[in-house]
Amino acid sequence: ELDPKAVEEVSSTYVLKLVEEGVALEVAESIFRDLSERISGKKVGRLENKKEIILKEFRRLLEDLFSQAGKIDIWQRTAEAIRQKGYFTIVFLGPNGHGKTTTVAKLANLYKEKGYRVTIAAADTFRAGAIEQAQYWASKIGADFVSLGYDADPAAVAYEAVKRGEKGLSQVVLIDTAGRMHTKKNLMDEMRKIVRVSQPDLKIFVGDALVGNDAVEQAKTFYNEVGFDGSILTKFDADTKGGAALSIVYITRKPIIFVGVGQGIRDLKEFDPEWYLEMLLD
Amino acid sequence: MESFKEGILQVVSKIKSSVLLDTKELDSIIRELQRALLKADVEVKLVLEISERIKKRFLEEEHPPGFSKKDVLIKILYDELVNLLGGETTEELAIKPIPYKIMLVGIEGSGKTTTAGKIANYFKKKGYRVGLVAADTYRPGAYDQLKMLAESVGVMFYGDPQERDAVSLAKKGIETLEKAGAQIIIIDTAGRHKDENSLMEEVKVLYRELKPNSVFLVVDATQGSAVARQARAFREAVPYGYVVVSKMDGSAKGGGALSAVAASNARVLFIGVGEKIDDLEPFVPRKFVARLLGM
Ligand SMILES: Nc1nc2c(ncn2[C@@H]2O[C@H](COP(=O)(O)OP(=O)(O)OP(=O)(O)O)[C@@H](O)[C@H]2O)c(=O)[nH]1
Ligand SMILES: Nc1nc2c(ncn2[C@@H]2O[C@H](COP(=O)(O)OP(=O)(O)OP(=O)(O)O)[C@@H](O)[C@H]2O)c(=O)[nH]1
Ligand SMILES: [K+]
Ligand SMILES: [Mg+2]
Ligand SMILES: [Mg+2]
Repeated sequence: ELDPKAVEEVSSTYVLKLVEEGVALEVAESIFRDLSERISGKKVGRLENKKEIILKEFRRLLEDLFSQAGKIDIWQRTAEAIRQKGYFTIVFLGPNGHGKTTTVAKLANLYKEKGYRVTIAAADTFRAGAIEQAQYWASKIGADFVSLGYDADPAAVAYEAVKRGEKGLSQVVLIDTAGRMHTKKNLMDEMRKIVRVSQPDLKIFVGDALVGNDAVEQAKTFYNEVGFDGSILTKFDADTKGGAALSIVYITRKPIIFVGVGQGIRDLKEFDPEWYLEMLLD
Repeated sequence: MESFKEGILQVVSKIKSSVLLDTKELDSIIRELQRALLKADVEVKLVLEISERIKKRFLEEEHPPGFSKKDVLIKILYDELVNLLGGETTEELAIKPIPYKIMLVGIEGSGKTTTAGKIANYFKKKGYRVGLVAADTYRPGAYDQLKMLAESVGVMFYGDPQERDAVSLAKKGIETLEKAGAQIIIIDTAGRHKDENSLMEEVKVLYRELKPNSVFLVVDATQGSAVARQARAFREAVPYGYVVVSKMDGSAKGGGALSAVAASNARVLFIGVGEKIDDLEPFVPRKFVARLLGM
């Protein structure tokens, strides 16, 4: 029989290993509590290696976590929405500097390549240079661009962009928003307003793979106060195993859709849990 | 110091320490501290080093009379963490010679450009004539971003959106701003990480050619201990002397940044506490350590 003691022995090393790869401590600990529950009392043959069984079960638990989080087939969802009402809207949200605008550009480019008519909405009306940055990408990609200038109400910008969809001028509307700390109540209120006004088909949280323990607070607060359907994590190319991805999925039970792997327009990969677990547990 | 001590006592009291503090209790306290540090994103390796050192000092050093064992342990912990941050006192940056050139480096999105604006504002308020150089020739909108910041602060600006070569741009910028009477010249550079070889090569050349009087590494407080590896790589490429920890207005504790500092001989000069131009504070080690331990 596998007793909690054996699990604890294995877990203390593995908790540290996960934390070393950027998984939040409380998430790593919680995962091992889940594991302990799952396998305590499990029968093992006399010759089987306890440690191996525990690790196998550990991996299975993580696989289950990702498969329960589900999958978002963004292309299918897009096609479906366009069939039904003519357009598809995505709002991007997340902390400062974690890669929203670049990710909007990367996705806009993919949509263009698939032949869609795309609009990028510059609903970051606060950060210096944000509009020029989004505009650069839009014109480079050949997407339409909606802006009401700096200091405009971001919800109004989002609304203008959605109207392009309603009028049949655009099939895909991507709304870039200002980065914000989840601790700022007024900014979370503003984010909710953008969502209320634009009624997006998808809300995507854009996070940074280098984030550590704070991933928990970030994901929790954005998820509870605004809500999102899935995440994209950027900067996976930056010498990290991206433990934050596990933290976010564990906290929100929502899938990672893509990962960013560079600053270029094509540096976006569909997230593959197999690939991720292989890398994380290697 | 008093409230800091109370805070630590909270951590310590969590494990219901008795008066004795024998090795068993010491171990349990150390474990609690390790959790606090890991939760704050301090590198695992560093957490183990610190706790070993604390334990050793506690067991081997003579305890001053009139202090309880607990007081002594707290003092040691505090000392060790503050020492990692370069000691109790924070010196002002000495602005000499003039013109004084500051170059900002760091990972993508860490907050360099915003910090450049904030620092310009800080020194302008101190009475210096400040100029900003937009030497990020990669990131779309980087030029516009810094230009807007320069305008809102009211300092000189040099940039050229057509120029692709950051080195010759920055050289020209320094020359131009120097002629215009700038006493402090702040050079914003593109974001990069340790595995982007050509960008790391570029920042080396920038350092060699511009000969900045100091280099600031800007570290995002929300990022975890992985930034320590990045800091080491930056340290090799450009021996930065100062760190600015941005985004301290969120909920992150900044242990990744602490690890980045420990990975170098740099000291933290400022923390960023918001998106606005005034949201920059001189760094206070004691406050930082208190936050790190969740107090
Ligand atoms: N290496 C790398 N850099 C990235 C990736 N995604 C974005 N970046 C860079 O990160 C920096 C910040 O990206 P942005 O897209 O401006 O981030 P943002 O979330 O829109 O930032 P704010 O609007 O200021 O909150 C830029 O320099 C991007 O080039 C990625 O996957 N890998
Ligand atoms: N909340 C908060 N946001 C900050 C702080 N410092 C910078 N930011 C935000 O972080 C984001 C990225 O800042 P930038 O200054 O563009 O970062 P950067 O390092 O120049 O980015 P790249 O040039 O793309 O590498 C922006 O949204 C800033 O407003 C801070 O102290 N607090
Ligand atoms: K140091
Ligand atoms: Mg942006
Ligand atoms: Mg910048």
